[in-house]
Amino acid sequence: MAARESLLIATLVELADNLVDHYDVIDVLTVLSDRCVEAIDVDAAGVMLASPGGELQFIASSSESMRVLELFQIQADEGPCVDCYRDGHAIVNQSLDETDGRWPRFTPKALAYGFRSVHSLPLRLRGRTIGALNLFRTTQGPLDVDDVVVAQGLADVATIAILQHRSALDASTLNEQLSNALNSRIVIEQAKGIISQATICDMDHAFGRLRSHARNHNEGLTDVAWGIVGGTLRAQDLDEPKEFTPK
Amino acid sequence: MASYEREHPQSATLCAVAVEITELSGAGISLTSAGDESTKLCTSNNVAEELMDLEITLGEGPGDEASRSGVANEESNLMSPESSRWAVYSPEAVAAGARAVFGFPVRIGAVRFGALSLFRDTPGPLSEAQTSDAYLMASVIGRAILAMQAGAPRNTLSKELEGHSTFDFSVHQAAGMVSVQGSLSIKDALVALRAHAFASQETSSALAQRVIARQIHLDPTSGTWQETLRRNNS
Repeated sequence: MAARESLLIATLVELADNLVDHYDVIDVLTVLSDRCVEAIDVDAAGVMLASPGGELQFIASSSESMRVLELFQIQADEGPCVDCYRDGHAIVNQSLDETDGRWPRFTPKALAYGFRSVHSLPLRLRGRTIGALNLFRTTQGPLDVDDVVVAQGLADVATIAILQHRSALDASTLNEQLSNALNSRIVIEQAKGIISQATICDMDHAFGRLRSHARNHNEGLTDVAWGIVGGTLRAQDLDEPKEFTPK
Repeated sequence: MASYEREHPQSATLCAVAVEITELSGAGISLTSAGDESTKLCTSNNVAEELMDLEITLGEGPGDEASRSGVANEESNLMSPESSRWAVYSPEAVAAGARAVFGFPVRIGAVRFGALSLFRDTPGPLSEAQTSDAYLMASVIGRAILAMQAGAPRNTLSKELEGHSTFDFSVHQAAGMVSVQGSLSIKDALVALRAHAFASQETSSALAQRVIARQIHLDPTSGTWQETLRRNNS
């Protein structure tokens, strides 16, 4: 418990540091997803944001494995994040059961990938829901009440992270931030493809290299991805991930 | 490139729809080529046409700025003395009948396709709903331009635009892979991928999955798609 609290405080400090200057939204939300997995009893976590057109799109996750990404991809159409986003209410302790027919595409995939329960918490800003934090567990049974509180706290931090500056409180700037975050994610996917082909590795390793390089050189994840796509940085020259192990 | 509108009568529909959903006075779409030059794809009416010609001739204006910077811009009162963003464009745009102009980039990740320029004959900012709709429209236009450049058959464009306004992440990953395979820009790789999906009558996602699984690749010497020979995959 004490260890968890100190981890949480460390996370908030880390994020607060990040939020001071120009920072990379994808980076911050990836850190936040990682910390969810470390701080609370969940096995994977990720953030989806609503595009200005109102579709949910994947932004960041504690795992870049194709399986987990696929579970986010499906949630453009159906799943706990869509329900949470649409209603603006948290969905907690939702056991995955193929027979209830609630999410006919999402549930069988999530079960096949070993998950047994899901939770989704809204990212809310002044009454407007801008996305959702998604938590996956490989076990059934309820989340600890404290865990839910902590997760919602992290979801609130994520919301702040998206609003890169105060002016984002106005609607058109918020739309711009959302649009930029979603586009940055696409640049990262394009860069992953380039790295994967140029160095013959899988996509999560490609992401690991992007991330290690960004960290080691104190650059934003998106900037490194732009470097790869724009040809100013060669895939072969990216740092190899050392400590980073996709969960 | 100038013959785009003739070759793709669907493009005119895009401008008309942009005007309809944003409830503004007119819209124009410009395409950015590799040399950073803009060309006109379509405009919704005569004023929009005049504004687009101005932007392209002068190399300044809302669409030009949006496509260069990658972020949206808004000049909600062109007649205001503080409106000095575009020294030549602004007075000319007023003379043409515009009072407020808005630029939205049309892009897919690192690929810049061009921009959506919107105008209104009265001053004032966009409402929240109009801003959302313009962003959505820019996203749909990106897909539409990609489909047109990939040689989408005439009747398939509307079908193409149903569903999501963006692609699966797998399509972007595959575009990255194909750009390395064929020594192409990401944009050309995306077009090649989309064109092959049309030709083989599969979805972009399905083709992308096969590229990622290294079952098919773009051969650099012949420029054709080839099934990858399966080695002893465990």
